[in-house]
Amino acid sequence: MAADQPDALLGRRLVIVTGKGGTGKTTVAASLALSASRAGRRVLVAEMARGEHLVPVLAPGEAPVGYDGRELHPGLWAMRIDPFAALAEYLGLQLGGRVVVDRVFRNQAFRQLMTASPGWRELITLGKIWHLEQMAGADGSPLYDLIVVDAPATGHGVTFLDVPRVVVSAVQAGPLRRHAGGVEDLIRDTSRTLLLPVALAEELPARETQELVVRMRDDIGIAVDRVVVNAIMPAPFPEGCDDLPDRLRELADDALPASFPSPRVLAECSSYLAARHELHSHYSDVIAESTGLPRTALPYLPEGIRGPDDLARLGEALLAEPV
Amino acid sequence: MTGPNSARPASRLVTDRRIVVCVGTGGVGKTTIAAAIALEAARRGRRSLVLTIDPARRLADALGVESLGNEPREVAGDRREALGIPEDGQLSAMMLDMKRTFDDLVHRFADGPEAVERILENRIYQHVSDALAGSAEYAAMEKVYEMCQSGAYDLIVVDTPPSQHALDFLEAPERLLEFLDSRLVQVLLHPAFAAGRFGFRLFQRTTQRVLQIFERVSGVSFLEDISEFLLAFEGMSEGFRERATRVRTLLMGADSAFVLVAAPSREAARGARAFLDDLERSKVPLVGIVANRMRLWPGSEDGSAPQFSPDMLSAGRAAIEDALIGSANAPVAPAHAATLAQAAADVATGYASLVNLDLENTQLLEQYAIRRGAFYQRIGELHKDVHDLAGLRTVGAQLFGEERGS
Repeated sequence: MAADQPDALLGRRLVIVTGKGGTGKTTVAASLALSASRAGRRVLVAEMARGEHLVPVLAPGEAPVGYDGRELHPGLWAMRIDPFAALAEYLGLQLGGRVVVDRVFRNQAFRQLMTASPGWRELITLGKIWHLEQMAGADGSPLYDLIVVDAPATGHGVTFLDVPRVVVSAVQAGPLRRHAGGVEDLIRDTSRTLLLPVALAEELPARETQELVVRMRDDIGIAVDRVVVNAIMPAPFPEGCDDLPDRLRELADDALPASFPSPRVLAECSSYLAARHELHSHYSDVIAESTGLPRTALPYLPEGIRGPDDLARLGEALLAEPV
Repeated sequence: MTGPNSARPASRLVTDRRIVVCVGTGGVGKTTIAAAIALEAARRGRRSLVLTIDPARRLADALGVESLGNEPREVAGDRREALGIPEDGQLSAMMLDMKRTFDDLVHRFADGPEAVERILENRIYQHVSDALAGSAEYAAMEKVYEMCQSGAYDLIVVDTPPSQHALDFLEAPERLLEFLDSRLVQVLLHPAFAAGRFGFRLFQRTTQRVLQIFERVSGVSFLEDISEFLLAFEGMSEGFRERATRVRTLLMGADSAFVLVAAPSREAARGARAFLDDLERSKVPLVGIVANRMRLWPGSEDGSAPQFSPDMLSAGRAAIEDALIGSANAPVAPAHAATLAQAAADVATGYASLVNLDLENTQLLEQYAIRRGAFYQRIGELHKDVHDLAGLRTVGAQLFGEERGS
């Protein structure tokens, strides 16, 4: 499914929103999920961070959604996948009951042990997502048309998507390996799953996005069809006015009313706005060239995201064809 | 001209302290601020080191830390002159290699070469040094301590790993140690352990049942790895704990200072306020707040922008138009002058609203600093990202109050 197809985003089963911390993943995930629900899809948006970030933008002032989740808007459910809750659910199913599991999970030492142990969080989280994708309603059709995942910020090294592959290669037969295999199949199915990287148009994020995309596409085999470049500052003045800063600098200091900013101050403000716009354009191009992918530019919103209306504004841009 | 400007309280950071820790959420420019502080100390004749976690490549190149194996590199030669570093001053930089730092610790504390080998090859350990929450912070603290003990530096500036919680830098190592603590081993492990027997019987029954299921369905030799890891680490934990305690004492002592770096976007400002709550509770020595990447109104004392009334705007616009048309050097055609004048007026109001927004978002931070007697310094966002030493100088000039261009 190419990026220019109308259903390139909404026609997926699973969209995983990824990127470095601070790039706006939660905003993009929430915006996509909200737009999809308004287009008539049944959508689940899931986050995994410590603390809840979806509710403050999707439904400001409302209570946290937790592991059970809740319908925040018609057709839009949100949940927070807590790895311990997911593991307790999974082990409870395996053991045929929750009494023992809950007791062990309350044990401080056990929790410390699990907190220190690597890899299982990512696996159980992906397992939960896979399970949600498989879930069917009473009539046999999928419970959710689209699942949007606000993935953890990428750091150095292993990302949470690497884990199933590692498990499959390192682990002997068993239910978890089978599950890991199923999860890997879902991730690599380019018609069902899409990775949506979010970047800022700045030097470091631009380069990291390129590294991320290459790794995801080549090592993991997940479909990536575009990059979302966030917080783009607009051109500060119309075309043909690029000479504004220079013209202003040519004026005498006292050319304007005393209460009004001087020509030099105006020139500095114009230069700054022009330079930031230029910087963003440049790095947006760098991202497109280095990844070989079209991009979707989202505008800088000075006031931030105050609620669903701001998300809807961004949603329009998100669903448009990337360039 | 490097006029002393000790009127700026931020100056005491570079003159009086041995350790400065820069905390803050991701993307606010901590690395740049940390490097600028270290540079200023060097300019004042001190031997300084900036410990970075994740520098942008060009800045890393500029500092010369690109391909290092966890060792400091000194900024040398004609770059010293360009930066105004006097003979007795020194600026060094290094990038933290977490894995290496942990391995070094294992070599230091494990009971002999066999134990070292066992730990380094243990699968759980291999993950611990990069995946475990708190390991980056632990490694950073460890490196700070080591560099401090070496006596080679008068000031060490630490760029902490990006995190959502202010106290991760201090608390994560604590949490890590709790896991390694031998008391934990005793709680989890059966008394039969003392007899040196391995296997499922090691664990208390309920824990054992759950872990057995986990192991059966995961197919991972989880229990064996964990047991071996705990066994191996038991010998080390005393050493680890003692050292971590000393590091913490050092960081909370009179020679150390914490600086919160914040940015004015809504998200970043909110993150900074959350940080302040945490820092307050923990009695961490916060000496100042740097509000970085601010849009500032040029020439304004308090940084605020003018208020533009409709009359003022139209009078201003008309004046610009006239001035452009009537300009002696380079007169502008009337139609173009009108367009330019409108553009200028839009720039004025547009930029002013950004300036006011940034001030609004950071107001609570400023008030906090005033209340607590901490310094508060705004740094204007530059036209380009800081990617070289000249950029660092510009930031430093704003932070420490010198004239621009000196």
